[in-house]
Amino acid sequence: MEQILANGIYLGAQYAMIALGLTLIFALMNVLNFAHGQLYVLGGFVTYTFYGQFGLPFVVALAMSCLTLAIVGALLERYLFGPVIRRSAREESTMLLAAAIAFLLDAIILLVFGEKQRGVPKIVDGVFNWDFRVIMPYDRILICFLAILAIVAFISYMQFTKTGRALRALAQDRTAAQLMGVDTARYSMIGFALGAMLAGLVGGLLVTITGVNLGMGGPTSVKAFMMVMIGGAGVISGAIAGGIILGFMEAIGLAVLSQYGDITYLLIFISLMIFLAIRPQGLMGKPWG
Amino acid sequence: MSVAGESRSTGMRHGINRRTLVGVAVFLLAVFVVIPLLIAASGRTDFYYTLTSVALLSIASAGVWLMFYIGRINIGQGAFALIGAYVSAILVTKAGMSFWLSLPIAGVFAAGVAVLIGLPILRLKGVYFAMISLVLTQVVTLAALALPITNGAKGITSIPLPGEVSILGLTLIPDFATMENSRLAFYYTACVLMVLTFAAMYRLVNSRLGHICRSMQQNEELASSIGINIAYIRVIVFAISSFLGGIGGAMFGAIAQSVYPSSFQVADSINFMLNCFLGGLGYVFGPMLGTLVLYFGWDLLFESGKYQLLIYASLLIFLMLVLPNGLLSIRLDRLRRTHR
Amino acid sequence: MYRRTIIKGAAVALASLALTTAAHAENDTLKIGFVGVTSGPAAAWGISNVRSMETRAAWINEIGGVQIGDKTYDIEIVTFDDQKDPKRAIAGMEKMAQEGIRYVVGPNVDDGAAAVRPVAEANGIVYFPYAFPKELYSPPASNAVLGMVANYQSGPAIYKYLMESKGVKTVAFVAANESDPLSQRDGGVMAANALGMEVVSDNVTYQVDTSDFTPVITPVIRTQPDLLVLSGVSPAHAPQLIRSARELGYEGLISTETAQDATVLREGAGELANGFISVGGASTPEIASDAMVEFVDRYTKMFGEYNDESNTKVYALEYILETIRANPQAIDDVEVFKAAMDDFEAPNPFMKGNAALKYVGMTSFGQKRQVAVPLVVNVYRDGAFETLFVAEVD
Repeated sequence: MEQILANGIYLGAQYAMIALGLTLIFALMNVLNFAHGQLYVLGGFVTYTFYGQFGLPFVVALAMSCLTLAIVGALLERYLFGPVIRRSAREESTMLLAAAIAFLLDAIILLVFGEKQRGVPKIVDGVFNWDFRVIMPYDRILICFLAILAIVAFISYMQFTKTGRALRALAQDRTAAQLMGVDTARYSMIGFALGAMLAGLVGGLLVTITGVNLGMGGPTSVKAFMMVMIGGAGVISGAIAGGIILGFMEAIGLAVLSQYGDITYLLIFISLMIFLAIRPQGLMGKPWG
Repeated sequence: MSVAGESRSTGMRHGINRRTLVGVAVFLLAVFVVIPLLIAASGRTDFYYTLTSVALLSIASAGVWLMFYIGRINIGQGAFALIGAYVSAILVTKAGMSFWLSLPIAGVFAAGVAVLIGLPILRLKGVYFAMISLVLTQVVTLAALALPITNGAKGITSIPLPGEVSILGLTLIPDFATMENSRLAFYYTACVLMVLTFAAMYRLVNSRLGHICRSMQQNEELASSIGINIAYIRVIVFAISSFLGGIGGAMFGAIAQSVYPSSFQVADSINFMLNCFLGGLGYVFGPMLGTLVLYFGWDLLFESGKYQLLIYASLLIFLMLVLPNGLLSIRLDRLRRTHR
Repeated sequence: MYRRTIIKGAAVALASLALTTAAHAENDTLKIGFVGVTSGPAAAWGISNVRSMETRAAWINEIGGVQIGDKTYDIEIVTFDDQKDPKRAIAGMEKMAQEGIRYVVGPNVDDGAAAVRPVAEANGIVYFPYAFPKELYSPPASNAVLGMVANYQSGPAIYKYLMESKGVKTVAFVAANESDPLSQRDGGVMAANALGMEVVSDNVTYQVDTSDFTPVITPVIRTQPDLLVLSGVSPAHAPQLIRSARELGYEGLISTETAQDATVLREGAGELANGFISVGGASTPEIASDAMVEFVDRYTKMFGEYNDESNTKVYALEYILETIRANPQAIDDVEVFKAAMDDFEAPNPFMKGNAALKYVGMTSFGQKRQVAVPLVVNVYRDGAFETLFVAEVD
């Protein structure tokens, strides 16, 4: 029981972070970013290169991941998403662009970093073992702690800074924000950079535990979509709730249903569909349309 | 847009104008005569399969396009294609049914599933529907892995080729297994199905139902307030969409002579949707062109080796920047008049 | 392009020296195909395949090509990325037929291998899949040749060895929820039961997108098996599963029947991976011949880094070329090739001793439709593989 709780918190924290970046971008630009998982993988590879290959301190590598991804995010918004959104008749068209960017990043990652699974040295050794009731390696505990810290920092940033307030205004009502004198072009770019940076940060954190390979991108995006939908699209608290709920569903499902093996995820998916059919806007989302 | 649609549907009743007729004739001639002749002349027989795939995938994409037409992003077509493939494969291998009979049954079965699932989930809109249909694809893949009737992970293999169809001793469709070139037979079959599909789509879009769909795409509440039973229309459209997915999937099963849980997966569902975007959401023939470019493009880039994906993705992004409303938007004004 | 020019130049120079090819100013080209996955999540499988073929081809071309009958050929590898999609795999096989290619390596997975079968049979192509369904290789199928050792062959050998030498009595299986791993798990369970082992857990599966394996593997560890089998595990998941199992306090043995890469294990699990048993090719120092050492060396030079998975993938091309060399008509007639398979034999250049290249598979398929790759079982220790034992498949 305690183990399920611990696994749930760990999974939930990492999922929530992945979902946060995606939901931020969605809230600001109404873009369902299919390339989010690839951004996450890219973040993992940057940390791998600086920490695993060059032997720089982990914190430096993590900062490099954030910086690289923020730049990539800003460029994507400035030169690709921005122009396409302005010119397309239906805003869903950005899905094709996002998917094409996902392909492009996949191709670049394959050419630059290769096809192999990569891993980095552990940041902390040892395993926390409470009487075999809770077993959790110290590095997982640390990463979980860092993830929660990052989430808190992100929320405070959105809540208490001028940029954060502008971004929230933009997410709430783009036209009104513009009328109130918010520079929408500039803040769209900042928002996208911030979302991509979150993906890079979580990629950099998780590379120390799961390693990274080029195939993780697509499935990560799909999982992130699910979390965002559970919580409600475009709502920050919803993304966190969605991440934690999915984390716990997996932890509980895997523990309780393990003897039925093949059906654990089938049941998770079906209950998701039923939940959404009953509550179409997720837990905290605004009704759509 | 709705005004244009109205005038078009009145136009339909008075007969199709000459230019459209010529266009259709040229298209049919190209598909059924010119392309096979060109392939025979150039010896590029591998294009038969590629073009067959394009035809079948565009049928499934047409279903997705129809969902866009009522304002729903459907990322679940892979699920229905997989259902269709399995229904046909099971009927042919376990019940010994003729493939040609199993083909419509596969489509109807997929449509039936769509009606059952559609009633609750079609209330969802925007990204919520997109996401739930995406999950649907995974549900069907996982169910295919877990169920005994689908033979689980081992899939259904060694499916016989489509057999003969004859009425009173007159052979309508010859036995594919005895044919020297079953590729050509599959090509013609797929093209016939594609032509039928798009003819039906064109008719539908220019009918009263199409008019209603357009009004739903713009505002469901408004459509509902003028007395349209939107829940009913949504389910009907979803069923048609899924029927097309089931047909496309069943045909693929017959060509590969095998079906696995991974025959259609999330990536396929996403591709069906992308085909529609690329062709253009505003044009009935958008999915056909989009499929051709996306699928054929990958094959043509085969020479570029390890840079294939890089070039493919870059071209897609470039297309998106130049023509964000789809390939057909390049002739926006003219097509509005002829096809809407 | 530049490199090819140099190689061609070298080939021409060598050819003019050699007596047999003196008449030819330039070699003909023999195309060998590859249809498999070289992008996306499973890219590692196909890429290690393609690269070992390209390495070997470049090497052969550098020393003047391969002599078949009275002609000498340069080898060209034509690759097609099927993106692990059976529909694309069919297109790939059609492309190969179009290019006039008779011998194709791949596809890498079950569904692709089943899907290309009609095309290969219709066009007279012999293909070497890395997929295990017996139906592909048993009559009436006759164009597929299994390119490696199947799990239902290596599994029993490994389990038997561990029962006898390590006293293993109980076994647990974990597999990804996908066609190939699930089929391999079922095969493993059958083999373990047949050997009289007690299977304590065989229904735990994981999604391929799992990012935390601890909850997945906890119920398996609770059953305290002597041996934990990771059925059909991909190289990306193996280190994470090992790490989770060890961190949960598991002390028994861990094994798999797929090929792994030592660097990936070292980076992903470090010393926790010590003692991990997997199936490999012939690159461990105990058995690798000079040719194998040179192959690894050339591969590393050409692509920057070696992949140990290639050890099992170096063979298919060698078999194709050697069989054609022994039967020159087979170069464009696969019926000759198939007829020759029954009693073909040539020395195995990659292994020390007098191992032979020959076709096997009578026991598993009722006809010789498998390459006789030595069943090399490796154990990982501190960043490298050591050979545990070598067996033969019949």
